[in-house]
Parts: sequence; C-alpha cells; structure tokens
Amino acid sequence: MPQSLAVRSRSTLEAVRDALGSLATLDRTGEVLTAIKHFPAREAKFAPMPEWVRPELASAYRAKGVTQLYSHQALAAEKVREGKNVVIVTPTASGKTLCYNLPVLNAILENPDTRALYLFPTKALAQDQLTELHDLATRLDDSFGVFTYDGDTPGDARKAIRERGHVILSNPDMLHTGILPHHTRWLRLFENLRYIVLDELHTYRGVFGSHLTNVLRRLHRIAKFYGSDPQFVCSSATIANPGELASRLTESRVEVLDENGAPSAEKIFAFYNPPVVNRNLGIRRSYLNESTRVAKEFLKQKLQTIVFANSRLHTEVLLTYLKQAYPAPPGNDEPIRGYRGGYLPGERRAIERGLREGRIRGVVATNALELGIDIGSLDATVMAGYAGTIASTWQRAGRAGRRSGAACAVLVASSSPLDQFIVQHPDYFFGRSPEHAYVQPDNLEILVNHLKCAAFELPISPDEKFGGVDVQAICDRLSEAGFLHKSGENWHWVQEAYPADTVSLRSVTSDNFVIVDVTGNESVDDGISGEPEVIGEVDFSSALTTVHPKAIYIHQGQQYHVEKLDFDQRKAFVKRVNVDYFTDAIRYTQVRVLEIADEDAIAGPAMRVYGDVLVRSQVVGFKKIKFFTNENVGSGKLELPENEMHTTAFWITLNRSLVASLDYSLSDRQAGMFGLLRALESIASLLLMCDPRDLGTAIGERPPSPGVVPDWHEEAEIAADPNLPRDYFEPNLYLYDAYPGGIGFSEPLFRAYELLLHRTRELISACSCTGGCPSCVGPAGEKSDKAKEVALTILSRLTRGA
Amino acid sequence: MSLMNEHRFNRIAAMKPATKRAGVEPRGYVPATPEGADTLARLLGATLQKTRHGEHLSVRRWFSDASPGDVTMAALRLLAPDAPDEAADQNNWLFLDTETTGFAGGTGTYAFLIGIAWWDAGGLEVEQFFMRDHCDEHSVLGTLKERLAERSILVTFNGKSFDWPLLETRFRMTRSISPKAPRAHLDLLHTSRHLWRPRIGSVRLCELERHVLGRNRGHDIVSDLIPQIYFDFLRGGCAEQLVPVFYHNQMDLVGLAALTGRVFSLLAAPESECADALEVFGVSRICDRRGESSRARDLYAHAIARVLPKPVDGTARAALARLAKREGDFARATSLWMELRGISREGLEAYVELAKYFEHRMRHPKRAAELIGEALAELRRSRSIDFVPPARTGKWRTDLDKRMARLRNKCSTGQNETLLEANLTESRGLVAESK
Repeated sequence: MPQSLAVRSRSTLEAVRDALGSLATLDRTGEVLTAIKHFPAREAKFAPMPEWVRPELASAYRAKGVTQLYSHQALAAEKVREGKNVVIVTPTASGKTLCYNLPVLNAILENPDTRALYLFPTKALAQDQLTELHDLATRLDDSFGVFTYDGDTPGDARKAIRERGHVILSNPDMLHTGILPHHTRWLRLFENLRYIVLDELHTYRGVFGSHLTNVLRRLHRIAKFYGSDPQFVCSSATIANPGELASRLTESRVEVLDENGAPSAEKIFAFYNPPVVNRNLGIRRSYLNESTRVAKEFLKQKLQTIVFANSRLHTEVLLTYLKQAYPAPPGNDEPIRGYRGGYLPGERRAIERGLREGRIRGVVATNALELGIDIGSLDATVMAGYAGTIASTWQRAGRAGRRSGAACAVLVASSSPLDQFIVQHPDYFFGRSPEHAYVQPDNLEILVNHLKCAAFELPISPDEKFGGVDVQAICDRLSEAGFLHKSGENWHWVQEAYPADTVSLRSVTSDNFVIVDVTGNESVDDGISGEPEVIGEVDFSSALTTVHPKAIYIHQGQQYHVEKLDFDQRKAFVKRVNVDYFTDAIRYTQVRVLEIADEDAIAGPAMRVYGDVLVRSQVVGFKKIKFFTNENVGSGKLELPENEMHTTAFWITLNRSLVASLDYSLSDRQAGMFGLLRALESIASLLLMCDPRDLGTAIGERPPSPGVVPDWHEEAEIAADPNLPRDYFEPNLYLYDAYPGGIGFSEPLFRAYELLLHRTRELISACSCTGGCPSCVGPAGEKSDKAKEVALTILSRLTRGA
Repeated sequence: MSLMNEHRFNRIAAMKPATKRAGVEPRGYVPATPEGADTLARLLGATLQKTRHGEHLSVRRWFSDASPGDVTMAALRLLAPDAPDEAADQNNWLFLDTETTGFAGGTGTYAFLIGIAWWDAGGLEVEQFFMRDHCDEHSVLGTLKERLAERSILVTFNGKSFDWPLLETRFRMTRSISPKAPRAHLDLLHTSRHLWRPRIGSVRLCELERHVLGRNRGHDIVSDLIPQIYFDFLRGGCAEQLVPVFYHNQMDLVGLAALTGRVFSLLAAPESECADALEVFGVSRICDRRGESSRARDLYAHAIARVLPKPVDGTARAALARLAKREGDFARATSLWMELRGISREGLEAYVELAKYFEHRMRHPKRAAELIGEALAELRRSRSIDFVPPARTGKWRTDLDKRMARLRNKCSTGQNETLLEANLTESRGLVAESK
C-alpha cells in the first residue's frame, strides 16, 4: 500500500475513534454501546483476466486500472459465459457490476446482434450504471450502444434507443408499462435478447417481488414469441436464501455464487442504545435526538456523514435538528441536505453531485440512498433506527468507506421491540444471515392483473402456462367480465383500456397524491401571489396517514399544514407554516375471517390458524406531537374514507378456558393481549424480512359459530385508547398481510409458529422494564401496568410442553 | 384449500368488469364466429373473401367524387419535404383509415375494420376489410399487403402517428405477413392544423368537412363508441349497430380524399381568391417552418393585408419581425416590435426583443432597462383586467425580473459612458421615428 494512503486511513480511523470515544464517555454503565465490532481490512484475492476476453475489452478495462479480476468476478464471468443463470451475492463495493458487464460486453463484441436488458429497482441506479457503461463504450470506440429507458427518457430519443441500444438499462415498472405492451417496437431487442441482469435482487421481495415474477413471466412469453431464450444474471445483498429467491423470481434454476474476493477497508460497526431515563417505564432517550448527537460528533470530526431514517417524516425531523446545528454560512450552500423519495429528480441529482464533490458534509436520507447510487466515499453512517432487515442495514453501513481507508457505522436503536432485540442480541445480527426473502407470485389479485397484461401483449393460447394456476379457468372468468374474448382457440384482449396502466408494481394502486403548495407570496410588492407549486408526491397507501386534513407535512425541513385533501383529484393542498409539533395518524382496523386454510390445536389451549380474511381500516384521527420532547400536545378527529381489503392472515385463537384461567382483571387481560400481539408483530417482521408496514395486526372475537357473521368490533391497531375494555370470549390475535390477496406471509408464520413464540418470549423476558415498555409489549398504560406480566403468562401457556 | 373456487374469483378486484354495459349479456360460450356475421354481410352487401390466410368480409363502394387537379411539386414539398417526386402521382395514392378496438395503441389494440380508397374511373373506389373475429386478422392484413403493393403512396389523416404504426404492429404480430414500406406517406393532420385551427378550433376530420368543404355527413356515429360496438358484436350482439361504423369509415375516406384536394390547391396557390386570410396565414407559417423565408414573408404580409383577427395579426407581425431580425433588417424588425409592444405574448416578447437589441446591438443597457421596466408595468396593469392567464404572468414576471436585475447591474457598473450617451440619442430618434 502506498505510504500516503496508509497515513490517510490512519487519520480517518483516529477521527472515528475520537468520535466513538466521546460517545463512550457518557456510557458509564456499558449499556449504551452494546456492541463495537471491529472489522480489519481484508486482502484481495485475485484471478487473471480470462483468456476468452476480447483484447479490446481487456485493454479498455486495463485503461480503467483493472488488470486482473477479483476471484469472484472471474468465477461469475466464467459461469455466465457457460450459459448458467447465476446470482452473485457479495457486499457493497465488491465490484459486482464487472461480474455481469464483462461477459455481456464480451458477447456483444463477439456478435453485435446480441442484446441485454438490465433491470434496476430504481431509476437512479440505472442512471448510475449508465455512467460506468458509457465510459467503457467510449473506450471501445462506441462499438456498442447503452441507454437508459425509463419514464424520464424523452419521446424523440426512444426510437433511436430501440434501434441502437445493445444494453438497455431500465426498471421493472418501465418493462411492465412501457416495453412489454409495445414489444413489436422492440423487435431487435426481443429477437436477440440473450441476457437479463437483475440487480439488487433482494429488494424484489413481498409485493414488489411477486409482481416482478409475473412481469418476468410475461417477458418469457414475449421472448419465446420472438425465438429467444435469455439467461439471468442476478446480484443480491446477503440474505439467507438468495438462490431460492432467484429461482422463484426467474422460475428457472439459478446457481449461487457467494465467495467474495474483494478487499475491504477497515470498518467499525457500533450499536448505540439510547440511555435509559426511567427504568421502570423502560423509557429511553429519544433515538432521533441521540442520532442527531452521534451525527454531530462525526461532523465535528470533519467526517462526511450520512444519516438514515426509516420514514420520510423522520428524515425531515432529523434534517431540522441537524440544520439547526449546522446552518448554512451566509451566501453559501447548505452543508446538510435531505434526500428522499418525494423530492424531484433534479433536486436529487444536485444533492448526489454535492456529496461526491464534498460540498455537502452531511445528508439525511431514507432508503432512497441505500442502494448503489454513486455518492462517493462517505466516512460515517448513522442509522436512526434499525432498517428493518439485516441486509438493508449492511447496505446502509456500506455507504461509508467505499474507497477510503477506514469507516464507521453506528446503529442507534429506537425503543421499538425489533430495534431492542437487535442491539441486545448482536450475535443475531453479526452471525450468519437468518433472513429469508419471500414472494407469492401466485397471489391471485396480482397474477390476474398480469394475465390481463399478458393477453394484451399476445393472445393466450389453450396450452399456455402462467404460474401455478389454471389459466383457462381464469380466462373463462375474465371473458365473462368482459376483458377477454375467445376467437378460435385463443383468448384476445377486448377492452379499450391499456391494462398495464392500472397496475402498479409497488403499491396497491398506481394513484399518487400530489402535494400542492398554495402559500400566498404576499411579500411581493405588487401583490402578485405565488403560483400553486407541486412540491412532492406520496403514494396512495401513505397519503391517508401523511397528508390527511390538518396534518403537518414536512418537506426539506419545511413544515406545511395540510389545508385540504381532495381525495377524488388525488391532491393535497398545503401551506407553509412554522409550528413546534408534527402529527401522527391514528388508524382503526377490523378483521373478519372468510375462510380457514388450515388450523391446528396448540398448547394453551389455543389454536393456530391461517386463511382468508377481510380487513377494514380507517384513519380516524391524529395526534400532535411536540418536537424534541415528544409530548402529546393535542389531537383531532378525521372523517376519511374506509379501506377494505381481502387478504390472508395468520392468527392465534386463545381458547375460552385459557382466557378464563388468567387470574387478572379485564383491563389487565386486554392490555396483555395487545402487548403480546405487538411483540409478535415485531418478531414476525424480523423472521419474514418484511417492512413492518407489510404486516398488520388486529384483535377480534372468534365468531360464535362458523358461518355466522359477527358484528364488527372496532379495535385500535395498538391499544391507543381502550376506554371501553371488552371481555374477549375467545380472542383472535391477527397478523395479516397488508396487501390485497395476501403476499405469502401467513403460511410461513403458521409453519414457524414455534420459532415465532419462542423468539417473542425471549424478546419480552429479556427486556429490563418492569411493567411493559415501548421496547417489548408497548408502554404501560393508564389502565393496566400488568401488560408484560400477562403477555408472558399467555406465552408460557402457549409454549408449555413445546 | 382450493385456490380455484368460485368464492375466490368473486373477490378478486382484477376480475370485476371495467365498465358496466347495458343490453348485451356477457357470455362464457361464444360460437366460432359471431352470430351476427351473416346478418352484417347481408346488411352491407359484403362478400366473404377467402384468401390464403383465411377469410374476412369485404365491402366495395364507388363514390362519384372527382379527383382534384394536378399536385404541384412546390405544394408537395410544403406538405412532405422528404417525399420523392412520384408522391405527386395520384394514381399511386392509397387513402387509408382504420377503426380500432382502442385509441391507446400497444399490442392489444386491433384494427378490426380497415378502409382504403383510390381514384378510379373518374371517382373514388372504397374498399373495406372487416374481421368477424380475431381469426380473420391475418386474412385482412394479407389483403391489405396486396393493395399496398399496387399503390405505394399512403394518404391519411393522423395516420402517421396512429393508423400506420398500429398496422405495423399488427403486421409484426403475425410474424409472417410483412408488407413493403410505403414509398411515401402523406399525412394531412399537421398541415390542417396550420391551415384551419385558428378559424375552426378543432381539426377533427368531420369538422373540417363541414366548415372547410361545406359537406354534411348527416347522422354519424360518435367515434369513441366504436370499440364497444365491436366488442358487443363479438359477444353475439346485434349486427345492425356495426353498420354505421362502416358508413363512418367510408365517410372518413371520402372526406379525406376531398380534403387532400383542398390542401394541395391551397398550398399551390394561397393568393387565389378562394383562400381566406387565416388560410393564407396558415400557408405562410408552413413556409416559415420549411425555411422558405422570402415566400413566408410575402404571404405574412399578404395575410395581414387581407385583415386578420387581432391576436393572429399580432402573431403574423411578430413572425415578420423575427424574419427581419434573422435577415439583419433591424430597422424593419424594431419598427414592428415597437408597434407590437403591449400586454400579450407577442407584446411582451417585443419588449424583450427590443431590450436585447438595445443591450447587445446598440450597447445601450439603460434604454433596455427602460423597456423592461415598461413591460413590467404593463404586467402589473394587466393583472387587474386579467388579460393574460395568471400562470403565464408569473413566468413572465420572473424572466423579466431576472433580465431587469442583470441590466441594472450592467448599468450601475457604468461601462463605457460615452458610447452609451452617443447611442442614447440615436435610439431616442429611432423610437420617435417608429411612433
């Protein structure tokens, strides 16, 4: 290693040590920094450039400084050349793009007809790859064409791209709405399609992954129509089942390549658990405040820092805090910026540039910056709250230290059960990944929508297969509903509408709400008012909780008061305000069992069940929460439309005798059940590797007898205000899939219920609070301080003899 | 659990009918060809064509419309600058119009009725190909391919962006029938927009027929309903409903043929008696676009002389000023801008152009700043009478403010005071002169 580099790395390392040191001085009990893991720098394992690589390609790479390959790159390139479907599992910054670029470009140079389609989960990632491939194309005298093709591609460029693009960089959404329905225009691509690259494969799980499988089914049909049979090259962050996920998504055999030959810089990974303020109530200092403090320590050491928050709201709250600490010097750019989904593309590109050039010293981001967008080498990552999955957490940590000599990542735990479980069980995190990614491509709601798209693209023939369902039966039904028509043997699309337009791959509906700023600009001398300006957008599912009337919506640290929510026009009208609180929506949920798929008596006595349910939910009000102190300073009622959804659920029914045998008051019993459900939800989302929002919870009464429809029981998702304690005769504790039709969580939970119960018990009993706290069963309520005790009693009954 | 049960299907939102239809009951079972096909053939006097790709219905009808006079090369170049000379040969023209199962395009949209027409025996011969269901598509396309081989100059109305790409998609979907690309494609849409939108507003073919050609179709079907009529027919609905669709398609072709004549005669001789001022203005805009500056200049002047409505008059004068500027005739350009100043798009543009002229040509930023100041004052005044939509004013305001700030800055740095003074007198004179 050159001398200069060594010196630099030591100084970064020292800065990191200093920052951690000052954090540790406050940690008198040793409970704050629960883990400090030191990962020494790792040597590279090299392999020579394969002999089959064309000389011009080898010299193009040589000119970029690549004279030999890391061992995993060589292996991957070899496998791809052999025609194998592969999934490459390596950490951030290990040179995985070369794994697919080398064999793909080589194939194009050997035969200029060859075409490749690269799919990235976000547009930004495709943009990023474009830069790398453009550079190679230039070095190779533009002997191949590489283009991004997405919603931002101008109309007049599209034709040229279709003709001249050897490598098309796009995303599943564009493939779904823009490419497949117009496949005749992509004749050249589909006739010669040899490679499909799926980057960041682990992001395709749950709803998104289930959609992607169906999009790929459609792609297969089209490729077959044009006589091509493409091969898959995938890359994934570390999860427990990359091979299984890849085969489920592509519905073909995929080989897993998980050896890593890349070197890595020295890295320190620390878990930071905010100090306990009140041990009895289990109250810790606000993790947002503490994250701000950790970030400030790093910034003070002149370390360029990225702070990850788990929601748009928290991004903006943290940004507000940090901007106060580091205001922009007069006449200069802001040194601290925010970055999240709702920002407009131009704004985002400017922030990425600012980070690469070092003008921006700190950035507060959502997972929008988690994936491989090139923002250069940052020095430190601060995570305000656990990212939800181990894979995401490592990716976020990987944003620091891509190239520099040393780096640091700190996870600041919130008081949520999941966060507490992780920071108190470092081995769970640092050990072998236990996370499985699940998809349910045969979810009927999803599949039928894609079958409609498929019929639009090519008539469906009588012997056609599409997933694991009876295609002909569905076509019959779609024909009755007026979507398809059978002419001769084949089913044809007979609607004016374009089916792909009504199907969004990412959320329940493709409707977005736009946020319109209608603040008047009265300061202008002549009184010309500012024009309404669109400042951002939110997706349908979060609109009701973030831009309901009277909500405080925060954008780039600026607060806006929602004046009006025009539900039909999908618009929220906001005005700039300056208040000292933010809002949090209250949602009520009801569940009705429609059909039981399987059930089984377990200890307790109780039942474990899964099946189909109907979930109704409504946002009924909101709380106003004061900045910094998090006091509840007011609330309001809302009348918003009710949402109804058929989905699947896993639930535990506590039998009457079990409930009756609990020697507690009514409100204690109720608090215990809500607490137990809350803890179950945390562990379930951990096991399922899902976004906590993908899983919903509710408690309801088991119907008196099958077939009789019970009255609706209105229950809060979390026992927010159980003013009227209800005596549950035989309560059902539901964990349902928060997606119409279900997304495949219920059955794994049904199977893994023992693990679920044991881990939940571990979580609650390891918690140091006395009567329940936000980190286990939820805060001890006014009505009952026995929630924890009751929850543990129920759990011990449920796991008795197991 | 049986995944495929009735119960489940009924709960899938994706299976709910997209639109509620009155009259026709959706049916599961459908006969090989829709029941109404024979009735339809009888009603239309259609014949069943058997081709090597299958069968389809065909209708032929002759209309006594006379073909227009010769097409001049100059007119052809204005309509389609890249077309080869042979495109002027009307014997090679094939008028084309399709009726489709949707307007969004994409591979799931079918052209269920394809109408073509050509000049023959002193009139217009119309031929229509109809697919009784999707099985007939190859036969229809195969026949169209033969007709295209006979006459290789396509003439359409909006066919360049709609009908022809859709047919190309249909041909590609067959994987076997691929026609030779047309030698040329003359599309009337854009030219019609230039010629008639200022007067008529809409440039739908039937509107043009009524207002430009003075023809009245009589009862015609609303084209938005056409896809649904066809879907109903496929599901066994009555054939009678489709008859007006055939008539509509024939009328479109006849109207298209007549309009083509009108377009070419206007392009060839816009100064003739029968053209109105707005049509002349339209031709001048087309010439302007095609880079025929001197012809454009003459025609703009000609149109202004025939008296244009106020806003169009402004546009014409602004165009003249722009042409003059391009030719370096600043005396003419500035005098036009001076007249144009005011609270309209052209008026505000005139202020900006004048300001640019004084700033860069005359090196007189002070005078430029004055002009921008006037423009801003106009904007402020206009707000009370709402002359310009508020969304526009804001954009203008920011642009003008920016320019103003820059000019003020330039003035205050006081570059070359003497030259400035010298120019001031000169420009004052010019302003006085133009008034």
